[in-house]
Amino acid sequence: MSKSATLVDFEGAITFGTIEILLNTLRDNQEFQKMNKPSKKRLYGIFVESIDNIFKYGAKLPGKSRNSSRTPKIIVMKQKDQYYVRVGNLVLNDDIGDLKFKLDRVNQLDFEALKSLYEEVINKESSASDTGAGLGLITMAMRTDSDIEYSFAPVDADHSFFEMKITLNG
Amino acid sequence: MEKLTIEPTLNSPGVVLDPVEKLFEFSGESRPENVRNFYIPILEWLEQFAAGDTGPCTFKFNLEYFNSTSAKYILDIFKILHSIQESGTDVGVKWHYEEDDEDMYEVGLEMSRMSGIKFDYVKEEI
Repeated sequence: MSKSATLVDFEGAITFGTIEILLNTLRDNQEFQKMNKPSKKRLYGIFVESIDNIFKYGAKLPGKSRNSSRTPKIIVMKQKDQYYVRVGNLVLNDDIGDLKFKLDRVNQLDFEALKSLYEEVINKESSASDTGAGLGLITMAMRTDSDIEYSFAPVDADHSFFEMKITLNG
Repeated sequence: MEKLTIEPTLNSPGVVLDPVEKLFEFSGESRPENVRNFYIPILEWLEQFAAGDTGPCTFKFNLEYFNSTSAKYILDIFKILHSIQESGTDVGVKWHYEEDDEDMYEVGLEMSRMSGIKFDYVKEEI
C-alpha cells in the first residue's frame, strides 16, 4: 500500500484548454480511480474550483519573467488517507485584502453557517458578473473538514505569489 | 415557441427545451469557459416561455457536476420555474443524482429551498 502518491503535478500557464488536460490526468490516475465515488467527486469539484480561482484572481507579470516562483502550479497529492489540492498563482497585491477576507471568513464558519453564507452570496452575486468568486471558496469549504491553508509571498511592488492548500479526507 | 437544444460538450451540459414535445432536460457537466454566455440564452428562453401559456410541464435535471459559477445560473433557472408555478401552472422538477452522490442530493435540497420550488428526487442506481 502506497502511503503517498502524486495524482497531478503541473506547473505552467493555465488556459481553459489546460483544464481539460489536467482533468484527464486526474481521471486517468490510478490512485484517483481507486477512490470511492463520493470522495472522487469532491476531489474533482475542489480541483475545478481551485483552477477557477486562478482564473478569477490570477495576475500576469508584464514582460518575459519565467521565474518559477511566479508560474501557476497545481498539485494533487495523497498522503495516508488524505488528499491535498495545492494551487499557487501570482495575484495583484490589490486583491490580497479581498482574498484574505474571503478565506478567513470560510475558515471561521461551520457547515450550517457556510450554507447561510452560500445562500446570501449566490443571491447577491449578480448574474451579470462571473468574477464574483467567493462562492467557489464557500463550496470548497463546505466539502472539507479542515481549514483552507493559504499564504502570500511578496514578488514585487505590485504582485505576490498566492498559495492555498485544501485537504480532503478520503 | 421555437425549441432550444444545445449539444453537450466535455464542459457544458446538454440542454433540451422543447415545448411541442414537452421535453425539458439538462444533463451532463457544467463548467463552460464563459458561464454567462452559456446560460443567458437559456434564461432568456425560459423568461419568454414563462410569459406564455406553458401548460403543465416537468423539467429534468440530470447533472453530474456543475461548478459554483454555474450554480448561480442554475438557481436562476429554478427561480423562473418557480415564477411559472406561482402563476398557477403545474411545474415539476425531477432532480436526478447517483445513488452514492449525497452531495448532489443535498445541493438539490438547497436549490429547492432557495428557489421555493419543490423537487422530486430521483436516485439513479449505478
